[in-house]
Amino acid sequence: MSYFFQIVVSGIVVGSIYALAALGMVLIYKSSKVLNIAHGQIIAAGAFITYFLTVTVGVPIFFSFIASMIITFFLAMSVERIFLRRLIGEPIISVIMVTIGLGSILDGLIYLTPFGSENFSFPVFLPQEPLSLGGVSISWTQLVGVIITFVLIGGFSYFFKKSTVGISMRAVSDDQFGSMSVGISVPKVFGLAWATAGLSAAAAGCIIGNITGLNFDTLHAFGIVVFPVIILGGLDSILGAVVAGIIMGLIQQFAAGYLDGNFGLKGTGDVMPYVILLIILWFKPHGLFGIHEIERV
Amino acid sequence: MSANTWLATGNFFTTYKQEQRTFLTSLDRTFFTFFLVILFGWPLIFELGNKNMLVIDNILIAIVAVMGLNLVTGFAGLISIGHAAFVGIGAYTLASFSRTLGDSHVLITHFWPVMIILSGVMGAVFGAIVGLPALRLKHLYLAIATLSFQMIFEWTIQFFTFFNQGQTIYIGRVAWLTGQVGRKDHYLFWYFIILTIVVLLGFGIRNIMKTRYGRSLVAVRDNDRAADAMGMNPGLTKVYAFALAGFFAGVAGALHAYVYRGVGFESFTLHESIGYLAMAIVGGLGTLNGSFWGPVAIKFLDLQVESLAEISGQYLPSGMNIATALKPLTFGLVIVLFLMFEPRGIANWWRITKSYTKLWPFRY
Repeated sequence: MSYFFQIVVSGIVVGSIYALAALGMVLIYKSSKVLNIAHGQIIAAGAFITYFLTVTVGVPIFFSFIASMIITFFLAMSVERIFLRRLIGEPIISVIMVTIGLGSILDGLIYLTPFGSENFSFPVFLPQEPLSLGGVSISWTQLVGVIITFVLIGGFSYFFKKSTVGISMRAVSDDQFGSMSVGISVPKVFGLAWATAGLSAAAAGCIIGNITGLNFDTLHAFGIVVFPVIILGGLDSILGAVVAGIIMGLIQQFAAGYLDGNFGLKGTGDVMPYVILLIILWFKPHGLFGIHEIERV
Repeated sequence: MSANTWLATGNFFTTYKQEQRTFLTSLDRTFFTFFLVILFGWPLIFELGNKNMLVIDNILIAIVAVMGLNLVTGFAGLISIGHAAFVGIGAYTLASFSRTLGDSHVLITHFWPVMIILSGVMGAVFGAIVGLPALRLKHLYLAIATLSFQMIFEWTIQFFTFFNQGQTIYIGRVAWLTGQVGRKDHYLFWYFIILTIVVLLGFGIRNIMKTRYGRSLVAVRDNDRAADAMGMNPGLTKVYAFALAGFFAGVAGALHAYVYRGVGFESFTLHESIGYLAMAIVGGLGTLNGSFWGPVAIKFLDLQVESLAEISGQYLPSGMNIATALKPLTFGLVIVLFLMFEPRGIANWWRITKSYTKLWPFRY
């Protein structure tokens, strides 16, 4: 039984990171209806910037954590400014393909650095021995990671609900022309959406890097696993992203915990989200919390 | 069929039949025949050697695959990020025959046209399955469906021992009327075969786009609700588009397997999918000749990048992974720059050149 609960715990840990990673994508999708395929690369960039600042420059890890969030904030904002601002009004398909190209460019840039091919791990700054509760153990890194994740998600939801910027972002996602007519600068909101997405991606990257170690392929894979999560959550709902993230984490950990090794299977945890995704797309395409759009000619 | 002498000055069609003709003017037909004769004839005069022939074969295979991708992304407006997986389905259809029957079974060596078509059909079946969400959903979700198919494909190939866990599975040498195709003629032989297939499939696409189905494809891309109101079925149209793209990809996969005489996992990864997408975009989405320009341009660029990586690798510290870095970097840059500055691709330059030469020396 404790094996079961152990899996539940690790599922929630992984799931909450998925939720944080998915949050950025949902933000971008909500405001500009663009699907950011380059999200995994931004996650990786955030993690590597933190590592660079901590280890090479020697900044304390909490400061570098915040610094990398700020750097990716501006990085994502400039990506939006340089590449996507010109494409406002173009068909959405070409905007998505631009993000595919962007992902490829960032891939190449990261491969140019040593981070692309080697493994790194963050210096240890938390107690090593895991916390044990009735046979279920959770490491301090995981615990702190989950706490930071939930604080950030809570912060983002509050920011979205209450602050002026958050409200204008929601207004833009509702109706672009309507929000323009009440004096909201739509391009500015798009930029801010990308920037906040970059910020949350950096946070997710740091937490993943602390838990699993820094490897470009792993971090990059996180950016792709986010797709099943946001589809399950319904693409434009923050609550959906959180719930779906945790569900997907649980599914993945249960698959890895119970299917692997039995029936001669292995690595099912990596493929399960995509199988689930295809099934969702067939049967419940708008996800758990998605809005079924009514379109008119 | 009489030639339409007035076509240069305007559209004077009086029946649909006239518009559906393959060659609109006799000049078109003359040029095309001339071009074909050159394409089929030059290898008989010049001898390029196996290495260069392989590059050309590669380009032709990419053309087959990109024609399919162009059908689904260009004409139907659905992004496919998993095209390499469909190519892989074709290649692994052949590979599974090789695994069960042995790599030089008569079915593989003598009945290769059947095998190529069978691989195409398998690709079409998988394309239709992945495209099924199209019955209810729009492009965004479909892009993710193809992406997840790519992931599932990669996992399946690497997992099962039947597929040799992604290691190379050998395919035997094929036989022709004169006997087994030897090492010396291998790439030349496949050049002629693939060229024939490209021409056939090219005519296929050209004709499809003139049929009821092709027109509904474009209508669905431009406005699927309006197309629905006009009595078309957008969902089914999209599923068929995926199936057709899968067919092209499957054929390309089988050809890839035959030319390389082996199927390995690394030719069908996500990077390759993005490469195909880059080819389609650079060539020009939604045009047939774009499917020819794109692969030529990208493969050429690829060669340049490889030689650049080789040269710079000598001067840079070994820790810098130039060779793996430059490829995604250039692909990404090419995709982004073309989408930003020339979204209609090289096909548009071709169109401009053509209209310029047609009117020269007058401006318009």
